[in-house]
Parts: sequence; structure tokens; C-alpha cells
Amino acid sequence: MVAQELESQQQQQQPPKKGSASLHSHEGPGLNILVGKAREVIQQAIVDPVTYLANWGRLYSLWPVHLETACCSIEWGAVSGPRFDAERYGILEAFGSLRQCDLVVVHGTVTRKMAPRLRFIYDQMPEPKWVIAMGACSISGGVYFDSYNVLPGVDQVIPVDVYVPGCPPRPEELIDAFILLQDKIRNSNIKKTS
Amino acid sequence: MSSGSSPELPKAEKGIIDAIGKLGEKAKLIYAKPNRIKFSVQRDDLVEVARFIRDELHFDHATNVTGTDFPKDGQLEITYHLGSHDGGEELRRIILAISCRIPSNDPKLPTLVNEYPSVLYHERETAEMIGCVFEGHPNLGRLLLPEDWTDIPPMLKAFRLPGRLEGE
Ligand code: SF4
Repeated sequence: MVAQELESQQQQQQPPKKGSASLHSHEGPGLNILVGKAREVIQQAIVDPVTYLANWGRLYSLWPVHLETACCSIEWGAVSGPRFDAERYGILEAFGSLRQCDLVVVHGTVTRKMAPRLRFIYDQMPEPKWVIAMGACSISGGVYFDSYNVLPGVDQVIPVDVYVPGCPPRPEELIDAFILLQDKIRNSNIKKTS
Repeated sequence: MSSGSSPELPKAEKGIIDAIGKLGEKAKLIYAKPNRIKFSVQRDDLVEVARFIRDELHFDHATNVTGTDFPKDGQLEITYHLGSHDGGEELRRIILAISCRIPSNDPKLPTLVNEYPSVLYHERETAEMIGCVFEGHPNLGRLLLPEDWTDIPPMLKAFRLPGRLEGE
């Protein structure tokens, strides 16, 4: 009986018609995820509604600093542009004051001379703040790892939340990093500052 | 590469070599190829040779200044690359290099800022990268290195990255 059912299901699925079978197979896991998310949200909202609300407000209004240190910033341009459009996820490049920003995306190579400035920028931003290290250079020095003038990893000067490897990373990877960061913010405790 | 003026050299290059030949011992030809000529001079004759090249040969600007470390000889070589803007079509394609070897333990060279004002920043960079002191230069302060740099100049062969590379 089961085998017959399976067979009939396969037969139904094979022709790529707009039939009910293909729609149904797409709907199943989607619904599960939806139910899981809803449970998560309800649990968090009931257990600690203040934290939930604050995190919800923070995670969809991330304002990155406009700080372009190296060639990775080209990909950042693509991410903020209309094709990949990070604004969909609530990441809006802000050109105002550092006091309004809460995210530093380190675009690649940071030289020894730039390092104190980077720290200075980080210190000027109000809490809470997050850091994404983008590109091999900002993670480990990348191709310049044995240069006298390049910092081997920005985590020597500022705490990093998400690392995005690549040289340069694809825009999709960066968007993935944003989503990871939003996950982190969603599950973080507001009383403990980063 | 210590060939003299080889037969296939264009006329302009030959003219330059002949003209500098008038200086005699002061300028020694190292190589001559189409578009590229290199002379070496002594430290004391550098300014004089540079003035001669500027006034007589119409090489009116310096494109860059480089430094090379020769630890086996205990010497640094500072090279000025000179070019010409208004010397005519023939001269415009030629790069004339004049190099000067100085001992590593006494790295001093008279500045060429008065002859070629465009070396102002190049000499400053060379000074901090290789440790050569250009005497008479108006400002040899920090340019590219971090303000807190305390190590030896990074382009010297003796320079080692702290904690990265073990000895050679
Ligand atoms: S990781 Fe690659 S693309 Fe990014 S800054 Fe370094 S060299 Fe440039």
C-alpha cells in the first residue's frame, strides 16, 4: 500500500504541471518553518517582552558606518545598490554622524596606520554596536598577511561579531552575514552590552 | 649589461650617452637600452651631474626615487629616474636613471629638491622606507609609516616582521 502511494506520488510529481502535488510538496516545510518561527516569537515575546521589542527594533534598523578601507568596498557598493539591495533587510547605509550608526562593516585591508582610526570610530559610536569583518584581509591580513604595514586581522583592535570570508565576498555572502547578525541580535540580551 | 653604446641604439640615446661622456669619470654608464639609460655617480658629484642633465639635456623632472639595499656589499643604492616633458618627441620616451651607492653605516645623500622640486615627497618616502638621510631636505618627517613606528626602516633586508618569519 505504502509503496503504491509513493509511486503514485512520484508519478504525480514528475510532470511539472501546476498540479496540487507540486504545490503541496513546496508548502510542507514552509509551513513547518513558519510554525517554528511563530512559536519562537511567541515564546520570546511572552518570556521577556521588553527584550523582544528592543531587539526587534534594533535588528531591522542597522545603520552601517561609511568607512571604506580597501577593495572589498566595491562589493559593498553592489550590496547597497538596487540589484542586491540590502535595504530589504533593514540595512541602510547612513551618511550622517557616527553617533547614529550601530554597525561597522570593515571593508577589507586595514593598515597599521588606519587601525587607531578604526578604533576611534568604533569608540565614538553609541552602544549597542556590532562589527562585521568583510574579506580575507580584515579576517587575517589576507594576501598581505606578512606585510609590515597591514593589520593581521581587525579583531586585534575591535571585537568582531560576524566574519565574512572571501576575496572579495560575493554580495550574497554579505547579505547572509547580515541575516546571521540579525539572528544574533534577536537572541541577545539587552542588558548585556556588546 | 655593461655594454657601451651598442650599434642598434636610437640616435637620441646615443646623443645622451655622448653628452654625459663629457663628464668623464664622474658618471659611469651601467646600461643603455632603447628608452632606458642608467648611470652611476659618486655621492659628491650627484648634484653637479643632476644640474648638468637638467640644463644641458633637458631632462626637466624626476618621476621617482627608489632605494635598494645590498647587504652583502654593505651599501644602499638610491636611484633617481628622470624624464623630459619639453625635450621633444625623442626625449619624451626616454627614462634616464642616475644611481648612487652609499655605505649603509653612513647613509647620507645631498638632496636634489633644489634641482628637481618633484622629488620632495619621493625623497621623504625613500628616507623613511630605506633609512637614507637626504641632507638639505626641508622636511624628512613621517609620511606613510604609522606614527608609532619604532622598528628599523621596513625596506631594509634586515627587517623582520615580529612573530611572523623566522631567520633566513
Ligand atoms: S579581501 Fe580581497 S577584495 Fe577584500 S580588501 Fe582584501 S584583497 Fe581586497
